[in-house]
Amino acid sequence: MINKKIGVLLLFALLVSFGAKAQRATSMRINEVLVVNEDNFVDDYGKRHAWIELFNGSAGSVNIAGCFLTNDKNDPKKYPIPKGDVLTIIPPRQHTLFWADGEPNRGTFHVNFTLDPSKENYIALYDADGKTLIDEIVIPASQKADISYGRTLDGQGEWSTLAKVTPSTNNVTLDSNEKIENFKENDSWGIGMTLTAMAVVFSGLFLLFIIFKQIGKFSIAASKRNARKAAGAAVVADNAGQESGEIFAAIGAALYEMSDDNHDIEHTVLTIRKVQRSYSPWSSKIYGLREVPKK
Amino acid sequence: MLGSVLLQAAGATHESFLQFLGKNLELFLTYTGVYNATPGHLIMILIGLLFIFLAIKYEFEPMLLIPIGFGILIGNIPFKDAGLQVGIYEQGSVLNILYQGVTSGWYPPLIFLGIGAMTDFSALISNPKLMLIGAAAQFGIFGAYTIALQMGFEPNQAGAIGIIGGADGPTAIFLSSKLAPNLMGAIAVSAYSYMALVPIIQPPFMRLLTTQKERLIRMKPPRAVSSTEKIVFPIVGLLLTCFLVPSGLPLLGMLFFGNLLKESGVTRRLAETARGPLIDTITILLGITVGASTQATQFLTLNSIKIFGLGALSFVIATCAGILFVKFFNLFLKEGNKINPLIGNSGVSAVPDSARISQNVGLEYDPTNYLLMHAMGPNVAGVIGSAVAAGILLGFLG
Repeated sequence: MINKKIGVLLLFALLVSFGAKAQRATSMRINEVLVVNEDNFVDDYGKRHAWIELFNGSAGSVNIAGCFLTNDKNDPKKYPIPKGDVLTIIPPRQHTLFWADGEPNRGTFHVNFTLDPSKENYIALYDADGKTLIDEIVIPASQKADISYGRTLDGQGEWSTLAKVTPSTNNVTLDSNEKIENFKENDSWGIGMTLTAMAVVFSGLFLLFIIFKQIGKFSIAASKRNARKAAGAAVVADNAGQESGEIFAAIGAALYEMSDDNHDIEHTVLTIRKVQRSYSPWSSKIYGLREVPKK
Repeated sequence: MLGSVLLQAAGATHESFLQFLGKNLELFLTYTGVYNATPGHLIMILIGLLFIFLAIKYEFEPMLLIPIGFGILIGNIPFKDAGLQVGIYEQGSVLNILYQGVTSGWYPPLIFLGIGAMTDFSALISNPKLMLIGAAAQFGIFGAYTIALQMGFEPNQAGAIGIIGGADGPTAIFLSSKLAPNLMGAIAVSAYSYMALVPIIQPPFMRLLTTQKERLIRMKPPRAVSSTEKIVFPIVGLLLTCFLVPSGLPLLGMLFFGNLLKESGVTRRLAETARGPLIDTITILLGITVGASTQATQFLTLNSIKIFGLGALSFVIATCAGILFVKFFNLFLKEGNKINPLIGNSGVSAVPDSARISQNVGLEYDPTNYLLMHAMGPNVAGVIGSAVAAGILLGFLG
């Protein structure tokens, strides 16, 4: 029995851990890369170098400390992202930038490799085990100066040369809510929304109706079966097990009235009630009264 | 004597000390409510007093109107904006911290937890077809949505306004905090006001849309529901509705979880906490902060007036849709199985007020026809329906 309980708990823990994986570093993506930085973003030392932007595509914060960045397929653990830096916790749908300057002593966000503009650059992000590949990209050779290569949509979409360089910000700037614009354009009267939403509400509650109609039938049949079992061979009425609440209310009222009748005070009738009290010094009045002071 | 000591302590001449006192007094006056009052503040204070009056005198939803009404008084005490962190919109103020539960939308799911723990779904389980009435009444939401669009509101704002028609305060707050935070105060006050006014809004339309014969329909008494069915209901309900509309998860998840606490029979303490101290605490915080969020400067706008108009309209549409749906449904039901259309109004999720109205109006026409238990079915279905509708709106417009 105890083993069974432990088994259930382990299964539960396993399921929970599977669910939790979605909020781990696996939701990080390489999002934008600038290989030749001549007149673009400067680092905290006032220097210009190539940079790699990562993006957290999940709805929860992700700590990338312990993960690895590399530009070498054969060395997945080339740059371990240091632990103990609060800045490695990336908020939901936010970016972070790593400088590919080969100067890891300059801080957490300066990796120990550089990008070579004359050839293809392989960049990969590995999970903390150094084996699980999270994301990789090969940046084509001959990148132009101050033109970045990135995803057309943050965290997803194809890679291409971007129209504008956007370090630590979205690759696509949204100046309106696409969904709302879509409704404004195609459903200005709200008829489409009404029909769709009411269809969903009705189907949801209709499914519940169907399921509980069947469960109800099953329950009635089960209670009939139980009633038959309880009555043995006796004949059971067709409506056994589906007595109405009114019947129960009537039975309850009758029982209440009966118990209520068992009182000993009746209108215009005197009755004698026998009172039995066992003596105890604790309840004796003698001990509860103060003695009259003697003069 | 004391004056001369003070003068000496101040190290100032008699004249300059009086000037100092005068300036201080003048400065103090600029901080008073009297100095900063505007007609808007006074109007809002009158509205707050009206809410308190309605709650005490007529017992219109007192649990909500008293906190909201008093919150309106708190929120409309005029003060000088001097960074003293007293107003609800000033970051870091006590009221602002309490208001976070509204703006980030975590009060409503906790209220739903309590509602789930106090709701008995037996009436619905014993007669599941009543669920469809709860679905039909959601036309109120989308009717108001359509009209709001025509009045010039953006689709997301129209969605947040439309949800008033669901007659569900927590749902309205939850959705408006996501879709149109700037309209949340007006939407919340409108939703709760009309919920309180359900006994006035619904009966005329119930009488208008039903015939004498229909009002006398007697419904079959509901059968007894087994505890297994009651336990299965929240589990199946959650899986089914949330697989269909995952965006309704915060509300539906908590509603069904609360109900399972109640029905499982083994978590009585948790259920009692959820339906007692927890929901009471959150109701107090929600009511007082929603009320306080109606600062005249933020609240008294043309949009608020429009929202109040649309709110009333959405309640009327929801009531009529529920009643007309029952009449339509009756066309397909055999004699003896027909539904009294007077329970159609209960499809809105104002639990249990609208069910009580079905009962009262029914008793006016037949003093032996008790509709309360039957009306509770669509009433609780309305809670599920409006949460599903909110999930759909959030999914489409969020």
